[in-house]
Amino acid sequence: MPAKRVIPCLDVKNGRVVKGIQFKQLRDLGHPAELARRYDQEGADELVFLDIAASQENRGTREAWVRDVARELTIPFTVGGGVSSIEDARSLLRAGADKVAVNTAASLRPDLVCDLADAFGSQCVVAAVDVKRDPDLGWRVYLKGGTAPTERSAVDWLWELNDLGAGEILLTSMDRDGTGDGFDLPLLDLASELPIPLIASGGAGREVHFLEALQHGADAVLAATLFHEGILPIPRLKAYLAQNDLSVRI
Amino acid sequence: MSAGTITLIDYEAGNLASLEGALERLGFPFVRAASPDQAAEAGPIVLPGVGHFEAAQRSLRDRGWWSALPGLVADGRPLLGICLGLQLLAEGSEEAPGIPGLGLIPGLVRRLGPGVKVPHMGWSQVHQARPHPALPDPDGAWLYFVHSYALEPTDDTLLVAEHGRPFTAAEARGRVMGFQPHPEKSGPDGLRLLRAALAWMGAAAQEAPCN
Repeated sequence: MPAKRVIPCLDVKNGRVVKGIQFKQLRDLGHPAELARRYDQEGADELVFLDIAASQENRGTREAWVRDVARELTIPFTVGGGVSSIEDARSLLRAGADKVAVNTAASLRPDLVCDLADAFGSQCVVAAVDVKRDPDLGWRVYLKGGTAPTERSAVDWLWELNDLGAGEILLTSMDRDGTGDGFDLPLLDLASELPIPLIASGGAGREVHFLEALQHGADAVLAATLFHEGILPIPRLKAYLAQNDLSVRI
Repeated sequence: MSAGTITLIDYEAGNLASLEGALERLGFPFVRAASPDQAAEAGPIVLPGVGHFEAAQRSLRDRGWWSALPGLVADGRPLLGICLGLQLLAEGSEEAPGIPGLGLIPGLVRRLGPGVKVPHMGWSQVHQARPHPALPDPDGAWLYFVHSYALEPTDDTLLVAEHGRPFTAAEARGRVMGFQPHPEKSGPDGLRLLRAALAWMGAAAQEAPCN
């Protein structure tokens, strides 16, 4: 079994890392490569960059910063946001991304997942899934940054993604995201039955939340604000996880 | 071009950007070579690789590398395979039955599992199987892996990792070496081992790296 992974997630807009304040103003946190280097040195196991303003015009900008990040990082990184074709993925991988994350486009056209897995290997394909608790479906899948509900049950969709050839699942609980109340543990119990690695996202507020998520079957834990704001430094989190008998890279 | 220049095989089945970044950081001069006639005149050759065994084999064949590599190795050129690059050096792989590997190192590549998540994705510690001057003090290093197949340990195995069962994490026969993990993406431990392996193979750092 590999070590449990700790993954900071960075939102990128027009080639800059940004952080939203109450969903409106975006604060500029710097160039992706600068933050990449900082997290690399702090002992992050991997990074996820989500391009929140992905558009056709933006593609050149994106390739440039992905290239800069690849040269700066000594750990793997994933890039997502608006990836909707083999060509999108190819340009990101050629620029140096190790994996691409797909979300909305994969839900609208599931064949995209197997096309990507065939072209680049499953290990390159991260399926990002945003879900919310639902009285009918248990958990319902949402698209377009959580604004568009689908008719899919999250658990069914996760298994379908596995069958399509996704190499890893990035599962975000929208109910918990931003609350700091902890991860959605019953959701992780179900999702961790999948035979592919699971990244838990949404709800981290304290060290113990990460421990719980990993004890409930997640292979990796992802958070943004806690790390960006320096509220919970990665070395402290990893030391805590190690003290609690989890295998982490220190 | 100095005598120790590294040749990086560019055959569209590798993530060259990270590897180039690592070589720059370590201060090793290198050239990208799509075909053997673009190779540096001496110095180690690096064979990276991600993706499918058969597709990579075909791509190397189309570019002339598949037929050239055994001769280069016979002439004493050091060769370093990384990830799928290591698997291609072996005799063959369960991923592509009937397709021979380069056969420059012994052994077969088999699928990981059952009973564990595949691909093996993430950081695992390696343990020394036998001491080798190319990899001083490797025991307990954390390295980043992402693969579904792995080389069975042989007498030439230097480092072993475990995912369901022990497998080869690094192997060397003569001047042919391979890493199953990605040392270029494995933080300080990976860069240290990559530097040691390439230096042992004759790569010459031109100047002290600035960071």
